[in-house]
Amino acid sequence: MRLEKCWFCSSTIYPGHGIQFVRNDAKIFRFCRSKCHKNFKMKRNPRKVKWTKAYRRVHGKDMTQDTTFEFERKRNRPERYDRNIAEQTLKAIKGIVKTRHHRAQNHIKNRMKGNKRKEQEMEQEELKHGITLVKAPHVLQEEPPFTLPKVKVKTAPAQEEKIRAMEE
Amino acid sequence: MAAFIASRLSQVRRSLLGSLTNGRVSGLLGSASETTGNHLFAQQQQRTFIQMRTKLNVVDNSGAKQVMCIQALKGKKGARLGDIIVASVKEARPGGKVKKGDVVRAVVVRAAMQRGRCDGSEVKFDDNACVILNKQGEPVGTRVFGPVPHELRQKKHLKILTMAEHLA
Repeated sequence: MRLEKCWFCSSTIYPGHGIQFVRNDAKIFRFCRSKCHKNFKMKRNPRKVKWTKAYRRVHGKDMTQDTTFEFERKRNRPERYDRNIAEQTLKAIKGIVKTRHHRAQNHIKNRMKGNKRKEQEMEQEELKHGITLVKAPHVLQEEPPFTLPKVKVKTAPAQEEKIRAMEE
Repeated sequence: MAAFIASRLSQVRRSLLGSLTNGRVSGLLGSASETTGNHLFAQQQQRTFIQMRTKLNVVDNSGAKQVMCIQALKGKKGARLGDIIVASVKEARPGGKVKKGDVVRAVVVRAAMQRGRCDGSEVKFDDNACVILNKQGEPVGTRVFGPVPHELRQKKHLKILTMAEHLA
């Protein structure tokens, strides 16, 4: 039994789900649900459809290059069953999932860095241009105008946490 | 207070923009969807049962190129992937084992209509194709081109499976 990946959205296809289309050159396209199949029939490019994994990968939304993904890679060579190895693998899975989760969170944090400052700046700008809508210019001359409170944003990028020691 | 003002301002701007562009955008979108729809309809292979007058490609070296189904030997509605049909040879290569106008039996090895697999998923192919059989139910040709489903094993067409280039 093998868990395949959907050609369109890259989600896991569990046995008994979805449909597969075999092209005449024997290339197999597997789809996890009719949504993905229909999008394929409409000749949509998964790299251009926002909800697919391919889009997120291309646009740097998700963490893509990581050692934790190596474990999930498709291997065509069958492994001989060994009780010890199977046990150790099962133990390692927990750790690997945890590490990946942690790294993904760090990735998002890094991507979101600097957004707060940008928002602040945009709001400042808008306030500068739109202040006359709230207060007439001659009133403004008498009173001091609105200002946004200063927000401290860290400028130095924090070092990415290094947890390279993988437990296999 | 400042944030509130900023949000109000941006809302106004958005609504203005929306009212300006709405008419034109909808017109453009409508025309685009129509054209793609027509294009798709022309390209799609009809996905129904293989019934009387369905034309199938012959994917072996028996000499026939195209056959027309004249009877499905199983099922009320028609034949599906892996079923046996009676067919009349419509096009044939000169000097082949089968001649034009012959009435032959053939097994459907590829069908554009999806067929359920034993685990509940589905499989479908690019075109409708068959392999010609003799009266004993053995293939006439010695080669089979293109992908072939593994369901033929259940139907006892092992010879076709061994001759096939690809299994799907």
